[in-house]
Amino acid sequence: MTLRFENVSYRYPGTDAWAIHDLDLTIHPDESVLVAGASGSGKSTLCRASIGLVPHFHQGQFMGRVLLEGLDTRQHPVYQLFRHAGLVFQNPDAQLFNHSVEAELAYGLESLGLSSFDIEERLARVEKLLGLESLIKRSPHTLSGGEKQRVALAAILALRPRILLLDEPFTHLDPEGAEELRTTLRLIRSEGIALIIVEHRLHEIITDVDRLIVLHQGERKIDGSPHAVLSRDTSPYGLNLPPLVRLFRALGWGKTPFTIEEAVREIDANHLSPQALLNFQEQNSIVVGSPPSTLGPVVEAEDLWFHYKDRPVLRGVDLKLGQGECVALIGRNGAGKTTLAKHLNGLLKPDRGSLKVLGQDTRRTSVSKLARHVGFAWQNPNDQLFRTSVREEVLTGPRVLQAYDPGWCNRLFERLGLTPLLDRSPFSLSEGQKKRVSFAAALAPQPGLIIFDEPTAGQDDPFRRELAELIHELQRDGRTVILVSHDLEFAARHASRWLILAEGQIIADGSPDAVMANHTAMAKGGLRPTQRFQLIQALKETRKEGKIDRVLP
Amino acid sequence: MIGSSLDPRSKLIALLAATCILMTFHGWLELAIAFGILIMVILLLRLGLAWLGLLKGLGFAAFTFFIIAGLAFDLVTAIMAALRLLTIGTAFFLFFQTTSPEALSNALIKMGAPYPFVFVLTASMQFVHVLIRRVISIRDAQRARGIPVESGLRAFRYFPALAGPLLIQAFHLADELAEAMEARGFGVPGRRFRYEPLLTLFDWAIIVVSAGAAVIVILI
Repeated sequence: MTLRFENVSYRYPGTDAWAIHDLDLTIHPDESVLVAGASGSGKSTLCRASIGLVPHFHQGQFMGRVLLEGLDTRQHPVYQLFRHAGLVFQNPDAQLFNHSVEAELAYGLESLGLSSFDIEERLARVEKLLGLESLIKRSPHTLSGGEKQRVALAAILALRPRILLLDEPFTHLDPEGAEELRTTLRLIRSEGIALIIVEHRLHEIITDVDRLIVLHQGERKIDGSPHAVLSRDTSPYGLNLPPLVRLFRALGWGKTPFTIEEAVREIDANHLSPQALLNFQEQNSIVVGSPPSTLGPVVEAEDLWFHYKDRPVLRGVDLKLGQGECVALIGRNGAGKTTLAKHLNGLLKPDRGSLKVLGQDTRRTSVSKLARHVGFAWQNPNDQLFRTSVREEVLTGPRVLQAYDPGWCNRLFERLGLTPLLDRSPFSLSEGQKKRVSFAAALAPQPGLIIFDEPTAGQDDPFRRELAELIHELQRDGRTVILVSHDLEFAARHASRWLILAEGQIIADGSPDAVMANHTAMAKGGLRPTQRFQLIQALKETRKEGKIDRVLP
Repeated sequence: MIGSSLDPRSKLIALLAATCILMTFHGWLELAIAFGILIMVILLLRLGLAWLGLLKGLGFAAFTFFIIAGLAFDLVTAIMAALRLLTIGTAFFLFFQTTSPEALSNALIKMGAPYPFVFVLTASMQFVHVLIRRVISIRDAQRARGIPVESGLRAFRYFPALAGPLLIQAFHLADELAEAMEARGFGVPGRRFRYEPLLTLFDWAIIVVSAGAAVIVILI
């Protein structure tokens, strides 16, 4: 036994609801466990309770017992428990507090009271394991998001814990970063360390875990092998299901494939109809509001260049976006996606080239004037909250811009489910509710172009469904939508056009299927096609080879 | 940041002594000579560019001192006020350029300062970069919805649009940071350090000379 929860209930100070309730579970050595559930289901609290931060750090009401390697976490302070279990938090910025990567890695080892010789030995090992040799002298604040996460992980691994917990480790990673993390986690697992991973994006890691635990309102609802759990009805729990499981469910096929190979095997073994899947794909490939480009361009960019500290970030971008389009801007971190998006509302001005948004030259138009026409919903809604009520928060923008339309704003409140929250402080809302407030604030001046920056990052399935509906409604209203996202599964289902940005250049532009079929551009952009696309391709290949007749009904 | 073979404790005592000496100088010539020496050290350590970066802020402050002292007193006082600020600022710059926060915190702990206080002080220096990035994000988010936070009188009215999210996020980050520190054994008694500072004979010589010089200058 490595970790045991015995009827644990806990609530944070000043709250009535239990964050975890009557939780009873055991994590065994060498196990790899994925913990899933909607936002607020108690996943992060479970992590904190595992290493004693709950209740020692957070206080609150705690009942039951957590045993970590036989130690009752209530009886032992965190500084005695941290050598047994390590937690990598969600926000890498808030867990790197030393002046260099080297000092960061050594910090926990100093806490363990190791000799200088042992510290050096462990540092060398963890540096090699996570490939940190080139970063070791750098200051953490100069690292990229993926690098910071590797350092945070290394700082915990250096302690050689028996259990490693990771709280939503894939949230801020691009597809390449996610692949690197998966490789690292496999390596860690091979060292005999038990893994507990909390994650919304199940497909990122589901093939690498032995067990899936579904939490709902702090309670353990389902627990078992990933296939067994996902064979059951999980709809009440807000899970963001793996794409192939979702697809098979939509087709009424009661199987739970996680990989393309598994899906093809299931189709073959169970005499399922690939043709039904191909028909389903064709029916669903027409995205609502596909480009009515005849309505005139909303964005016209020609030979756009932008430098940041002499480093070219945009290099000759040419772009035309039509009214009512939903365009996904994709590519690896640092490819220039956010920089391009910030040009569209004038926050950044091009060094060279021209950019017109709704006919206005952004170089000659102030940000406040463009804000009337371009709405920007940021990844972190906390960046804009400052009013005492949700109503005031949303209406501040349109009032400043003299674009306040009470009828439109009331409809917006209703549409985004904010009406019951209007008099509440925005700071008291959940992260999902804050996101909706930021969407309302961006849409309140009735912009013709709306940019969503990583809108699905860290969000559960109910939120993603609501967002999808909202995007389609905006398109139907004739508004142009831009999704800046790493979430290719979401982008493939809801964007009619993909643009891959790599090293400041648009290297592919077209329908999601056309772009995914461009292997060179996908590889250059650090991207992999969605699983649904890969499956369709695999089935088409099979049909070409004549094997498909065998399984066709 | 450049490496230094001196123990941070000897450098810290030398810095404090230098500050005392510079505060007691009554003539502009002494200050100018001290300033010249410091500039030579900067050039010798190839820190010229970094120092020029510092000068953007320090130079403005020195100029402000010069104007205020010039208006309130006379030209010589104004020159001395500006030079004093420049020399002391440059001495501190040299210290921090040659002493890592880790070395400084180890030295302070060796000198008897409590570990939690020292560590939080040095960790908060890392926190500044995160907060600067947050300020930029918050400013962009507010400008993108038309709130004038960049300049002018209206920006003053909307100052809470910058300060509010920043304060909330700073508190939140501080909370997360404290939690992360706890999770890596911050409160553990008997912590050992990777680098134990060691005073050499040369360090002792620097301590004696600088402390002696400070005492002599103050007494004179």
